[in-house]
Amino acid sequence: MIALGPADPRYPRGLLDLRDPPDPLWVEGEVGILASRAISIVGTRRMTPYGARVARELAAACAGVGVVVVSGLAQGIDSAAHEAALDPGGITVAVLGAGIAAYLDEARGRRRRLAHAIHASGALVSEFPPPSPARSWMFAKRDTTIAALGELAIVVEAPRDSGALITAAEALRLGRPVYAVPGPIGALASAGTNALIASGEARALTDASMLITTLELSTPMRGEEEPEDAARVLDALAGSPSDPDALARRLGLSQTALARIVARLMIRGRIGTAGDGRLARR
Amino acid sequence: MSACALWGLETALVTVEVDVANGLPAFVVVGLPDAAVQEARERVRAAVRNSGYEFPLRRITVNLAPAERRKEGTGFDLAIALGILRASGQLSADVAGLCLGELALDGALRPVRGAMPRVRHAAVRGIGEALVATENAGEAAACGIPALGFRALRDVVDHLEGRARVAPSQVPPRAAAPAHLVDLAHIAGQETPKRALEIAAAGGHNLLLVGPPGTGKTMLAQALPSILPPLDDDEAIAASTVHSVAGLTDPLHPILAARPFRAPHHTASHLSLVGGGSPPRPGEASLAHCGALFLDEVAEFSTSVLDTLREPLEERSITISRAGGAATYPARFVLVAAMNPCPCGNWGDGDRECRCLPEQIERYRGRLSGPLLDRIDLRAHVPRVPYERLRDEGREASARVRERVLVACERMRARLAGTGRRTNADLTVAEVKRFCRVDAVTEGLLAEAVCARRLSARGYHRVLRVARTAADLGGSDGVREEDVALALLLRAEP
Repeated sequence: MIALGPADPRYPRGLLDLRDPPDPLWVEGEVGILASRAISIVGTRRMTPYGARVARELAAACAGVGVVVVSGLAQGIDSAAHEAALDPGGITVAVLGAGIAAYLDEARGRRRRLAHAIHASGALVSEFPPPSPARSWMFAKRDTTIAALGELAIVVEAPRDSGALITAAEALRLGRPVYAVPGPIGALASAGTNALIASGEARALTDASMLITTLELSTPMRGEEEPEDAARVLDALAGSPSDPDALARRLGLSQTALARIVARLMIRGRIGTAGDGRLARR
Repeated sequence: MSACALWGLETALVTVEVDVANGLPAFVVVGLPDAAVQEARERVRAAVRNSGYEFPLRRITVNLAPAERRKEGTGFDLAIALGILRASGQLSADVAGLCLGELALDGALRPVRGAMPRVRHAAVRGIGEALVATENAGEAAACGIPALGFRALRDVVDHLEGRARVAPSQVPPRAAAPAHLVDLAHIAGQETPKRALEIAAAGGHNLLLVGPPGTGKTMLAQALPSILPPLDDDEAIAASTVHSVAGLTDPLHPILAARPFRAPHHTASHLSLVGGGSPPRPGEASLAHCGALFLDEVAEFSTSVLDTLREPLEERSITISRAGGAATYPARFVLVAAMNPCPCGNWGDGDRECRCLPEQIERYRGRLSGPLLDRIDLRAHVPRVPYERLRDEGREASARVRERVLVACERMRARLAGTGRRTNADLTVAEVKRFCRVDAVTEGLLAEAVCARRLSARGYHRVLRVARTAADLGGSDGVREEDVALALLLRAEP
């Protein structure tokens, strides 16, 4: 683990824009990647399956073009973004709301494995001394650091009081573009993001390719086109997972016809089950 | 004098020898009796006196042979009493039959549990008749030898001495198939969960139902008995035997008429679920033998209790080892489990907001351990049915579905004859290869899934087993693409 002071040439430039840049910034992992192009993806811990899918798509798109994904390694959207960035071999940076040593000591289960996977290819960073345990005030401070590390910030899902909105506000203050993913009207998990869009503070992010264009990078060509009925099934599942009966009724397909299409999509990895047996897009 | 000991479902013929000799008055029982058998002395003494006979004031020694085998329960009372009467000259006839019954202090004869396996064992060992309490006479008569039911010790003596002969009991008729509480026609919508239930009933596949509270998971599970195929004769005896050992037999209809459906509450302990104790008793898993075991709110069961089901799901029987010996109970059942998608139950329910954190949900689902989930072939989501669909008509009744299940079972039995397997769910890997042939296109699809690591080798075989049952239900000899598609749709991924 090393500590970078603001005078260090390896210190991330973006952090110097902060009113009170972290001094020092503790880094565990690859220091060099802090100089790469990076974007911040944040969101609520109580994500919906829709939020999970969008976070994964955005993070995977960034990983595909070599942009570093910065997030906070919380449950929910943060974890989904980190995982999806790592999956295709991308690089991701986790900004912790605790000292690095304390976090690695405390974390259990899936988040512990994720932290180690991030450490292996990317970096864990923290502005708090390694042994400091998490305190609630640290998270708000951490959220502003996330905003400064990315050249733009994306809020995937956030209810009105979410910590992700702190990142959005700080990014605005720093003059970084803020993008929010629109959600269904009335969904608690999207109330904060929809409000950001409504107030004009954030631009609506409607597509992963829109993000790539914004970053002025070209996308590698996306693979095969799905046949029409398969595309209709994927379309119907875009908003939220669905049970097979409702899906068949909505598309006017017989159970058998639907099962056939779904089976093919499952085998190709485009559809999976959502843990409770409903069908969900991957 | 013959009686029969019981350990688990294992039985052993016991010869009761009585010697009445001169000496200080005493009454000793030897031959590894447990407490209940020791107490037989007091019951027998009172019953003999209160039946109007004399209890000999001499040295009485009762030996239960073979002497090294542990004996439990109250079934030896009648044999001991008759032995004393015979040895003291108050009974003039020899007793050749199996004597099985507990004595009341006034000399009345009481039923014992486990009469069925004991009488069957005696029949196999060549004993010609059984003398039992009236309540046990029905189940004893079903075991192949004449069974005589008596109300009291006095009646037994009168019968043996020829003063008042008792006729052998009739084999009681099997109860009529019971009326089912829930019919599939009572449940609106839910086509896919119903389809999963049908496959579970036909192929013996275990099923997990997941859905928000109040959507009908319990009702669906309760409709399962209405579509299960009827018990064949072997199965009826096997299932009734377990019920007899547990003391649950209905004296009027000792042979079960329908497949058992057991639904233990989620506070169930190891003992109540898989059996145990000393002497061992069968648990719910064994009482569900040849039928279904329904675990409602399966995530609320203690995880260690749930994991005890792994052995019966794998071996189709449970072996309980205790200091006194090991008992094996059969336990071939269809497991139907139901659970909410998350602790608050609203995850994925369009109308309500779920307030659970992702890690809470993961922990909740993790309560169903991986090895247990591995044994569950089918998972269906049970969604909330919108109001306008609650009233729709034209739902398929259980009777129609059951016809399809019966036809599918016929096909399955014919195919599995000689393999030792009873259901598609039990097919071995070699048999899957033999019986579940798919066309080239479908095989290509599955190969693609396995190559892309979206389907494990184990998952591949499970999909084919379920597809085999789906094809049987569709009346097809080969496994079709649509069957594989349905199996993939109903597959329980972690």
